[in-house]
Amino acid sequence: MNDIAGQVVGGEIGDVLIRQQSGSSLEIGDLLVAEENDHIMILQVFGLQYGSQRDDRTLEMISGMDLEEGHNVEFFEPDFVNYVLARVKALARVQKDKTVRMPKSIPTFFKKVRMINTGDLQFLQKENNRSIFVGHIRSGTKVLRNAEVWLDARKIFSHHVLIPATTGRGKSNLVKTILYHLLDSRGVGALVLDAHNEYYGSGGDMGLKDHPESDRTLVYYTPNNPPPGALNLTFNLKAIRPDHFEGIVDLSEPQIRTMRRYYSTHSDNWISEIMLNDVLSEESKSRRGQDTKRTMLVIQQKLRQALGIEVNHEQNQVISRHNAFDAIRGKRTADDIVNHIESGHVVVLDTSKLNDKAELIVGSIVATRILDRYREAKELGTLKDKPVATIVIEEAPRVIGTDVLQSRTNNIYATIAREGRKFQVGLTAVTQMCSIIPSTILANMNTKIILGNELKTERQALIDSASQDLSADNHAIASLDRGEAIITSVFVPFALPVQIPYFNDIVIKKPPRTISRIKVFK
Amino acid sequence: MRFAHFSDTHLGFQKSRSLQELEQRTFEDAMDQCIQNNVDFILMCGDMFHTNIPDLRVQLIAMRALRRVYDAGIPVYMVHGSHDSAPNNRSAIDLLEAAGYLINITEQDDSVDDDDGLIHLKFVIDEKTGTKLAGLPGLKVGRDIEYYKNLDRNSLENEDGFKLFLFHGAISEAILDEKIGENMPLSLMPAGFDYYAGGHLHTFRDMNDFSDHPHVVYPGTLLAGYHSDMEENAKGVKRGFVMVDFDERGITDVRLVPSLPCEYAIITIDAENKTADSVQEELKEKIDKVQPSNRIVITRMSGQMSAGRTTDINMANAKKNLRERGALDVLVSRHGLSSTEYSIRAESGSTIEETEKLVFQENIGQVQVKRDTLRGDAGIRLADDLLGLLRQPRPENEKVKDYKYRMTTDALARMGL
Repeated sequence: MNDIAGQVVGGEIGDVLIRQQSGSSLEIGDLLVAEENDHIMILQVFGLQYGSQRDDRTLEMISGMDLEEGHNVEFFEPDFVNYVLARVKALARVQKDKTVRMPKSIPTFFKKVRMINTGDLQFLQKENNRSIFVGHIRSGTKVLRNAEVWLDARKIFSHHVLIPATTGRGKSNLVKTILYHLLDSRGVGALVLDAHNEYYGSGGDMGLKDHPESDRTLVYYTPNNPPPGALNLTFNLKAIRPDHFEGIVDLSEPQIRTMRRYYSTHSDNWISEIMLNDVLSEESKSRRGQDTKRTMLVIQQKLRQALGIEVNHEQNQVISRHNAFDAIRGKRTADDIVNHIESGHVVVLDTSKLNDKAELIVGSIVATRILDRYREAKELGTLKDKPVATIVIEEAPRVIGTDVLQSRTNNIYATIAREGRKFQVGLTAVTQMCSIIPSTILANMNTKIILGNELKTERQALIDSASQDLSADNHAIASLDRGEAIITSVFVPFALPVQIPYFNDIVIKKPPRTISRIKVFK
Repeated sequence: MRFAHFSDTHLGFQKSRSLQELEQRTFEDAMDQCIQNNVDFILMCGDMFHTNIPDLRVQLIAMRALRRVYDAGIPVYMVHGSHDSAPNNRSAIDLLEAAGYLINITEQDDSVDDDDGLIHLKFVIDEKTGTKLAGLPGLKVGRDIEYYKNLDRNSLENEDGFKLFLFHGAISEAILDEKIGENMPLSLMPAGFDYYAGGHLHTFRDMNDFSDHPHVVYPGTLLAGYHSDMEENAKGVKRGFVMVDFDERGITDVRLVPSLPCEYAIITIDAENKTADSVQEELKEKIDKVQPSNRIVITRMSGQMSAGRTTDINMANAKKNLRERGALDVLVSRHGLSSTEYSIRAESGSTIEETEKLVFQENIGQVQVKRDTLRGDAGIRLADDLLGLLRQPRPENEKVKDYKYRMTTDALARMGL
C-alpha cells in the first residue's frame, strides 16, 4: 500500500475517525480507500478536526507562552503529538469482481487508508452510444482525469433529472455539457426551452451548434432571423387548446368555461373567434349579458398578454407581436418538433424573446403532444422502440412549485413529473429554488446533479429527497465550487462527487466529423 | 420592369385526351399572356415536365410555346425540379436548353472550389434588366439540402444589385396543410435576395414577412401535377403563374395570374361501414344529381366498407353515364377506400406518391437486410425514388430496348450501383 493518507482510529458506522498521516492534506470530499481481504471500501471525508496528545489546557498554556511571553515554543516530535482527524463515511464496498454493494460494515480497526485512484473506480459506467458524459470523479478538489462519469441516458432521463444550483455555480455549463453529449446518444430526444438563448451558441459563442453531428441531431428554433439551418419558431394559433393555459395563466372558472365553449364550437379557430369578437359593440343590458361581456374582455386581455397577439381591425385578423404565434403560418411546427424528438434529436427552442407565459405555453403545446404520442405508443406496444423524451425547463417551480400546484389547476409539466415515467417521458428541471417544489415531486426526480448552494433550506430539501444518504454532506454541498457537483441517483452506486468540465474545452477536444465531398451538379 | 414566375407545370401528367388538351391550352395561354404583358423574362422553377423524358407530343407542345416566347425576345431562366432530374443527366429539358429556349442557371462546371469544398454559384445576369439570377436545382432523396449546407453564402449575400434566387424544394416555413416529406428551413437559403422563386409546392403562396428573405414565392402548378391537385381545383383552389413588377427600388407587386378557367363537379362518398352494394347505390344517386356538362367530374370514395370488395364497385358504367351527359372527363379517387374483406393497412396520404411513402414507412421495419441503404429512412427514400422511376411510361417514340436500357441504368444509378 502506498500513498498512505491515514489510519482508522475510531468512530462508528457512518462516522469513522481517521488520523491523517503527516504530509497528507485531507480535504472535505476526499475519497479514501481501505483495502480489506476480499474487497475495498471507498470512504469519503465529510469532516475535519484537530487531534493532539496534549490535553486542551496544556495546549492553551503553550499557545499563551508563544503569544504573550514571546518564547519560541516548539513541540517535541510535533507530527506525532498534533495531527488532523478526519471524519469519514463509507460510500461503497467494491468486491474483487468489481461488483459494488452498499457498505454494511466499517473498515478494520487501525486499517491504513490511502487516497483513491482510477483503478479503484473501474466499476463506473463506461462510454457507449446510450450514455452521456457528465464529468470526472473528484476527490476533494483533486480531479481524477481518467475516471470519467457516464450515465445511462435512457434510465436517468425517463426518471426525471433535477439540476439545483444558485447563480454562478456552473448550471448553464452543466446543462450544455449534458445536451452536447445527448447529441451523440441515440436513446434520448430532448425538448429544451432555452429562456436565455444560451445553449445553441449564438453570436459567436460556443454552443451545441459546434457539435460535429449538430446538423443531423440538433434542431434549433428561434423567432427572429434564424441562423443558417435553423427554423422559425412560429406556432399556429390553431395548435393551441384551452388546456395549454391550465396551470400557466390565472383563469377564473367562468373564463375557463368560456374558452372551452369557444373551443367546442369553433374547434381550432377558437382563439381567432374570441379575439375578433367585437364585445364592446354588443348591446346587453341584462346583468348576465354584462358579466359575459366582462368575461370576454378579460379573456381577450389575457390572450393578448400571454400570446403577444393583437387584432388588426382593418384586415380583421389576429397578428403576432413576436412571430411566435401566427394565424396562418406554423401549422406543422408542433408536429415537426415531436417528430424530431421521436427521432432522438435535441430540439432547442429559443424562448428568450417570449414572455414567461408564452414560453410555458409553447412548451405546453409540445409537451402535451409528446405525452399523447407516447401514451398511444404504450397502448400499441411500441413504446420500447421510441427514444426516451425529456423536457428541459428552467426555473421549474413556475410550473411544479407548491404554490402553483395548490392554487391552480394541473399543468402538463406537473403531469409529466408525476406520471411521465410510465411513458418514457421525463422532466429535466433546472432551478435555484428546489425547496418550493413539493417533496412528492422532488422524491420522484431520481437523479439530482447538485451544484453549490449557499442556502441552507435548499440544501436541506435536497438532502431530504436524495437517492443516497447525504445527511452528512451539508457542508460539502455548501462548499462546492463552480463546476463541482454531487450526483445522487438511483442509477449510481453512491453519491458521486464530480468535476464538470468546461464546455468550451469539450468542444475543442472533440474531433471534427469527416465530411465526404458532395458531387458537383450539372 | 416585369417578370413571370412558373413552376410545376408537369406537362405530360394528364392521361386522357380531353385533359391533355386542357393541359396544353393552359400552358400555351400562360405563355401567350407573358408575351402580351411584355414580361422581360420568365422563371421556370422546376418540374416543367412530369417525367424527365416525356413523349414526343408533350415535348412538341413545350417546344412550340417556348419558341414563341423566344421569338418575342423573352429569355426563360430555369432550374431543374425533382421530376426533371435524372442521375444520368438525360432530360428532355436538355434539348430545349440546347435549342436556346431555356437557360439553365445552375449549369456551371466550376461550381465547387477544390480549396474549401464549398459550392460557389455564379450569377447569371439578365442583359435587358441587369437582374442577377442564381439558384439550385431540386433533387430527390433529400440530396439538395446537402447543396445548401455546402453553399458559399457570403459571395451570394455580398453581391449587390437586384437579385433573384431560383430553387425547387419545400421550405419548412411555407408548408401549410400539405403532407410534404422532405423539407428544409428557410434559413438555409442565402439571405438578402430580393425574391426567392420557388417550385415544388403546388399551391400559390407569397411569404413576405421574413426580413432576411423577402418574397419567398411559390406559384404552384398551372393545372395539376398530382391527382389531388385536380380535387383541389374542384374545391376552388386558384391556379396560375406569378407576375412580378419591379423597379430600381425592388419588387413593387406580386400577383397570381389565374390559369384558364375550367368547371368542376365533385362527388364525395363516405363508404365507412357501408356495403359495396350500398356504396354503388349511393354513387348512382349522386351521379344522377350532378350536372356534368362541360365539367371535369371528380369522384372521391373513402372509408372502410363493412362488406364487399373495393373492386365490386363498378365505375365503368358511372364514367360512361357521365361522359354521355357531356362530362369533359371523369376522375376517380379511391385510394382512401378499403374493405374489411380486403384491406391494405396504411395511412392515406394526400397523393398517391404520399400514400406509397406511408406504406413504405409502415412496412420497412419488416424488411430484414444488412445494408444500411436499404433500411430505415434511407430504404424508404430509395424505394420511393425507384417507384417514381418505374412509374414513367415508355414514350411512344422510344424503342422497348432503349426504354429498358434507360430504366435499368437509371435504376442502378439511383441505387448507387
